[in-house]
Amino acid sequence: MKTFGPRTALSGVNLRVEAGEWLTLVGPNGAGKTTLLRILATLALPTSGEVHLFGLNSRRRDTAIRRQLGFLSHRSLLYDDLTAAQNLAFYGRVYGVSDGPARSAVMLDRLHLAARQDDLVATYSRGMQQRLAVARALLHRPRLLLLDEPYTGLDLLAAESLTRLLAEINAAGCTILLSTHTLEGGAFLGRRTLVLRQGRVIHDAPLNNATAFAALYRRLVAGECSDTLPPPGVALPADGNALPAPTRDAPTEQGGALPFWRQIWAIVAKDLAAEMRTREILGAMFVFAVLALLIFSFALDLRGAAARAAAPGVLWCAIAFAGTLGLSRSLAREQHSGGLTGLLLAPLDPAAIFLGKALGNLLFMLTLEIVLLPLGTLLFDVSLLNLEMVGIFLMGTVGYAAVGTLLAAIAVNTRAREVLMPILLLPLVAPLLIAAVRATGGLLEGLGWAGIAVWRHWLVVYNLLIVAVSMLTFGYVVEDS
Amino acid sequence: MKSKGLTEWLLAALAAIIFLIALGMVFFYAPREATMGDVQRIFYFHVASAWVGFFGFFITFLGGGLYLLRGGRRWDILALASAEVGLTFITMTLLTGMLWAKPVWGVYWTWEPRLIISAVQWALYMAYVMLRGSVGDAERGARFAAVYGVVAFVTVPLSWFAIRWWRTIHPVVFSGSGMTITPKMLTTLLVAIAAFTILYGILLRTRVHLEQERDHLAALRRTGDWEDGHAD
Repeated sequence: MKTFGPRTALSGVNLRVEAGEWLTLVGPNGAGKTTLLRILATLALPTSGEVHLFGLNSRRRDTAIRRQLGFLSHRSLLYDDLTAAQNLAFYGRVYGVSDGPARSAVMLDRLHLAARQDDLVATYSRGMQQRLAVARALLHRPRLLLLDEPYTGLDLLAAESLTRLLAEINAAGCTILLSTHTLEGGAFLGRRTLVLRQGRVIHDAPLNNATAFAALYRRLVAGECSDTLPPPGVALPADGNALPAPTRDAPTEQGGALPFWRQIWAIVAKDLAAEMRTREILGAMFVFAVLALLIFSFALDLRGAAARAAAPGVLWCAIAFAGTLGLSRSLAREQHSGGLTGLLLAPLDPAAIFLGKALGNLLFMLTLEIVLLPLGTLLFDVSLLNLEMVGIFLMGTVGYAAVGTLLAAIAVNTRAREVLMPILLLPLVAPLLIAAVRATGGLLEGLGWAGIAVWRHWLVVYNLLIVAVSMLTFGYVVEDS
Repeated sequence: MKSKGLTEWLLAALAAIIFLIALGMVFFYAPREATMGDVQRIFYFHVASAWVGFFGFFITFLGGGLYLLRGGRRWDILALASAEVGLTFITMTLLTGMLWAKPVWGVYWTWEPRLIISAVQWALYMAYVMLRGSVGDAERGARFAAVYGVVAFVTVPLSWFAIRWWRTIHPVVFSGSGMTITPKMLTTLLVAIAAFTILYGILLRTRVHLEQERDHLAALRRTGDWEDGHAD
């Protein structure tokens, strides 16, 4: 069963799918097809009941399960700011595809995207994005392929091409669960077909005649008749839902788990590549920070001693405000096409996802500070260019980037994402900003490294606590996002 | 249902009695403070509401943590209810603090660490409540709020450490060597804290019931029982 508060999305679903089977899911909008596929993809957990994939309980969200799953969602799970080739290269890396470049080339060619592989995904039509999303789902040679309305946005020829491709990989041993609203064409004939209505399976039998099934479907959905379950020839296991280990050799990617640090680096490299192409985050943060410095300067009439006294506060405010912009944009980029869901589907440790995103954001913020420190030196006539000062800015930025990454992942999923980010973040970083401003001020007053020990220690404690808590809770934030 | 109503009446009566006792002690039992005069009497409600404000945040942290670990709507409801009730008390702390500050320090607001910490606490509560209202999906909203409640609570001890490290002009209630208030003042303070804690408990209980009733109503509406039941 799957419930959302008082709403029941799935109830009493009990089925067993054999390895190499093709199962078509149909049902009216809101019947629970997407929820079922998301549960099978380990993106959502059932409220009660169990799902076993490849002999493993999916509640564990084992990377061994996710490595063998391919999922095509309503959203493309692609990065608009990367090219098709870069998208596949990234997913190839995180899935540990041994022949990544060659495999990507084959998939791009097979889905007729080779000629546009170096174009940004943002320039693709809906149908092209759908084809690239199929390539992404198939890239790592999954043993179980979950497709949520894969024909959406495809023209006739592309749809036929996809059907041929699916039939081919199914014949090679890949299990397919596919939801659709149309059973036209010959692709579904003879395939096991499930009808879902109001979260329940009301029909489970092979499709023998599309026209006759259409009439039956109307009556089933209208509640005018009920089917007999279980259907002939399909045994429901006594131990609940199960997808047993395949009996045939499937062409699955069998590479080992990607080392933790390589997982982190794959995400950082992807973020840097996207930023190198667009320069959106750095540009926005830099302009905003400079504007903040200028506005503070003339609003407070910062000259001479007043400027030197206010410099630490003004600089950290500029960094904090600009940081909220950068963090929001970084996670919005991830969320736009469901990138976070794509990362969750991949055999990645949630802690590595968090650290990868946080490290990328830290690098963006440090890049901003490389420009701001000399600028602050000029504007406020203070000495900011020394190793001790760099150390304090680094310590202050680590905690900010860590908690900011966690909160940005929350904020991008809210209705008021633009305004909520600073409201969520600033109260949490208040102790950090106090310590950073005091430490910076102490150094400017000539207290030296030893003289600001209490604030340095505070920054270290804050960073350790916040990074640990953020790592522990990040999985809950991105779960089912 | 009758016993539930009776319990609520008894709790309300208990709160009313202990509040009357606390009021009586504040004005007739506790001595007049030598330096600040009668305005110091606001201190008993100020500290009591601050205690409840922080305690409420702890319950929100606890409810959120249990929701993340175990799931279950009841933990989420507990966290939400405690945050809303705690927000009320921390708002009262800020207001009574300002009323107290004016005659004592000559200003309604001064950038004193403990006042800042209370303000930050208030901002955390507000952010929590705003977050709850900004997520469409109830399950996801509960998860996000639970994470926020946990992370926010972690920053509270850091804020408390700030008190020791900053110069402060806030009256020191408890010093390292002993209490700077008289035994009568302390007794009055403890009774006020007990009164506010009981009030917090009653408000929390009522808010939890309200949320449970909302869930119940939503479930009835979804299944159609509500419409059927009221059609006749």
